[in-house]
Amino acid sequence: MSDAAVTSLDMKPSRRAVLAGTGALVLTVGATGLAGIARSDPATNDVAPNIWVRISVDGTVTVVFPATEMGQGSSTSLPLILAEEMDADWDRVRVEQLDRDDRAYGNPIFGNVLYTAGSTAVAAYFTPLRLAGAQARQVLIRAAAKRWGVAPDSLKTEPGVVINPANGKRLGYGEIAALPDVPTDVPEVTEADLKPRSAYRLIGKDIPRRDAPAKSRGTETYVIDVRVPNMAYASVLRAPVEGETPQSIDEAAARAISGVLDVVRLPDGVAVVAERLETAFAARDALSVTWSERAPARKFDNEADLEAYAQAVARPQDKPAEWRAEGDAENALANGGRVIEAEYRSDYAYHAQLEPMAAVASVTDQGAEVWAGTQTQSWTTRTITDVLGIPADKVRVHMMTMGGGFGRRTALMQEYVRDALLSSRAVGRPVKVVWTREDDLRHGWFRPASVQLMSAAMTNDGTLEAWRHRVATPSVIKYFNPLRWSQVAPKDIVSMRGSESKHYKIPHFLAEHVITERRARIIPWRGIGAAYTSFAAEAFMDELASAAGEDPIAFRLKLLADNPRGARLLERVSEMAGWGRKPSETALGVAFAGYGNTMAAGIAEVAVDRETSQIRVPRFWAAIDGGLVIAPRNAEAQIEGGIVFGLSSTLKERVTIRDGEVEQSNFHDYEILRADEVPEIEIAFEVSDAPPSGMGEAGTPMVAAAVANGFHALTGRRLRHMPFTPERVLAALA
Amino acid sequence: MTTLRINGEAVAVAADPATPLLWVLREHLGLTGTKFGCGAGLCGACTVHVDGEAVFSCLTAVGDVEGDVTTIEGLSRDGDHPLQRAWIAEEVPQCGYCQSGQIMRAAALLAANPNPRRDEIAAEMSQNLCRCGTYNRIFKAVARAAKEA
Ligand code: FES
Ligand code: FES
Repeated sequence: MSDAAVTSLDMKPSRRAVLAGTGALVLTVGATGLAGIARSDPATNDVAPNIWVRISVDGTVTVVFPATEMGQGSSTSLPLILAEEMDADWDRVRVEQLDRDDRAYGNPIFGNVLYTAGSTAVAAYFTPLRLAGAQARQVLIRAAAKRWGVAPDSLKTEPGVVINPANGKRLGYGEIAALPDVPTDVPEVTEADLKPRSAYRLIGKDIPRRDAPAKSRGTETYVIDVRVPNMAYASVLRAPVEGETPQSIDEAAARAISGVLDVVRLPDGVAVVAERLETAFAARDALSVTWSERAPARKFDNEADLEAYAQAVARPQDKPAEWRAEGDAENALANGGRVIEAEYRSDYAYHAQLEPMAAVASVTDQGAEVWAGTQTQSWTTRTITDVLGIPADKVRVHMMTMGGGFGRRTALMQEYVRDALLSSRAVGRPVKVVWTREDDLRHGWFRPASVQLMSAAMTNDGTLEAWRHRVATPSVIKYFNPLRWSQVAPKDIVSMRGSESKHYKIPHFLAEHVITERRARIIPWRGIGAAYTSFAAEAFMDELASAAGEDPIAFRLKLLADNPRGARLLERVSEMAGWGRKPSETALGVAFAGYGNTMAAGIAEVAVDRETSQIRVPRFWAAIDGGLVIAPRNAEAQIEGGIVFGLSSTLKERVTIRDGEVEQSNFHDYEILRADEVPEIEIAFEVSDAPPSGMGEAGTPMVAAAVANGFHALTGRRLRHMPFTPERVLAALA
Repeated sequence: MTTLRINGEAVAVAADPATPLLWVLREHLGLTGTKFGCGAGLCGACTVHVDGEAVFSCLTAVGDVEGDVTTIEGLSRDGDHPLQRAWIAEEVPQCGYCQSGQIMRAAALLAANPNPRRDEIAAEMSQNLCRCGTYNRIFKAVARAAKEA
């Protein structure tokens, strides 16, 4: 988050829309990515002080939204940040979805790739958007000053107007945009020119999300809803096992169905294209395909593979990749006083975003127009140019709001987009590909499974001296984004995040990655590595507290002596939950985790039904410090959603793979948390001076350990394999 | 040709009678506020009303529909049903994809039981999944709508 991003501001104001580059193509149909978000019109007479914002003569302020919206709310919070510094009238702000791979808008945390992931959008764009807003404000002030013949620094702004305090004269932003002689030099702005927090009118106030009305009225348009003229539909029969290809296709029965247009061979499947969606589904079921039977993935087996990871974590073949090290943990463990070890495991997990994968493509001789719901303009564009072998200027993309993302829509090669392109090219019409839930789950890309070996050395008085967190899991980045892997190997933040335990001070510390063989399709999943590494770390921390005979919170506070923000969270959450009461029907468990720079302390109240061996969590408390909070109600919703997501994964979610095939197929055998299972959740924010550090994932990682620790407080037993299914609970109680 | 009454209007549809109502609504008629999540009666994203009762439109063959169908588009004239106002006031939606189904389920609940207890709300609403985890705000919004209706 350096302010180097200031250099990406276009230094010339322009009378025309800066987004003219998109105009090249083909069809333009009504469906846009976000309800109420405008498209650029190159013919306007707007004032554009930089690439981020335009002011129209009618007073409308158009702000470019460089991320994508999957429910996290940044289509409101990013424009809000710019509007704050600009002193824009929020009711006159329009949000414009960035629909192309223009790295000038790129996410600085991901090397300027257009990429919405890792809870980075607000953190990454916070400074660039404030600078852009401040710069726009300066342009407007200078124009008004010139008009009035006064010094710019004698003027001030209120939302949407420049004011001369000396005589009370006012000029609205739209009136200024209409002036004939807006100065063309754009002032440089630096962080020193930005507002103090105390002057904020929008940030930190309860400004509602822009998309709540459309999403409460059924009028938001997701990619699965897109309908364009002359559109056909495709359903894809996919190879049952990764890496297999269609050998022979008996398509007679499918083609005999009225309304079927074509049967299209894909690299890993067969698409049926039809006039109607229901026809495409029926005809796909009528296909008879012989698949190759030689893919290495036929040997994928979640149980055997997890055993192999367990072997690897105990006796690594190669030196593990160091993730974070302080002092000399190996030496301290070899010579330490009391050494404690435990092995933790976690299974594959599926995103279960409620909108199944879908895409719409229209491929013609001139190029391609594509509607997609993904977390990256860059990789969607790359998928299109790669598949079709055409340059990016022949591609028009519509980034649609998503029915959930959670990491699923981040890959370098997006097979759902590819299939729409190939189907459209085959039939010469626009085609919508719709995955069924069964497709989405059986052909999902998952959170990897892991085996983690935790080792610690404590002195006789119970002081933690050394900690080693060894994670055996594949490299997620290597698989889902090999381009990125070539830049970051062997450090894999997606596989390892959380294991750095950086908020504690431990004298001898080592987190290391035993990079195991990939045995499923894998991709980021909400919380990335922290979804399982924080489970192991924080459940093990509880084991150490027990071994030291100390209260779990007191034990952690000793490690937070240098981290007063973190300590405050633990104290706060312990007050909220009434920590210290004796277990009865329920017991409390604590965890301290978070995500990246956002710290989270959580306490779960845990109950066990002794007849069904089912865990229930009636209440959950959390205290969060994510620095400055941009949109408090949405931040609370994100943390709450993250906790529900984490609890669902903790208690239920598990993908199993046998002979290379995913065994689950829908929500009956891959269950996620339902309304009657959700805890009452209480969340408190400690707003520190730190910059905003992201909320989308911070609620998830703490949950599993808090539940495991509560289970221990209740029963005296440890749960070390996530999810905590009734069978595992029963085994732990035996 | 099947004739249906949808949101108060008679509509003729050329679909095989076995076609799920969901696809007729979404793809034949363009009423895309009703969503597809599972196709199996497991998620509730496709919930609509038939004669005021909440049904899974993914499991309802269009040829079997006898009563009046109401979708999210027809729940209120201006999108201001008490539940919709409550949904906006409580800022319930995240990704929003499940919310049409949630609102339709809640509307049928309130029509039958104008003052549901929290456990009654939870029991009824547990037929609808929300992966974004908005359940607690859904409870609040249903309670608010019950109070303000
Ligand atoms: S789509 Fe009908 S219940 Fe899920
Ligand atoms: S708001 Fe996203 S599934 Fe409910």
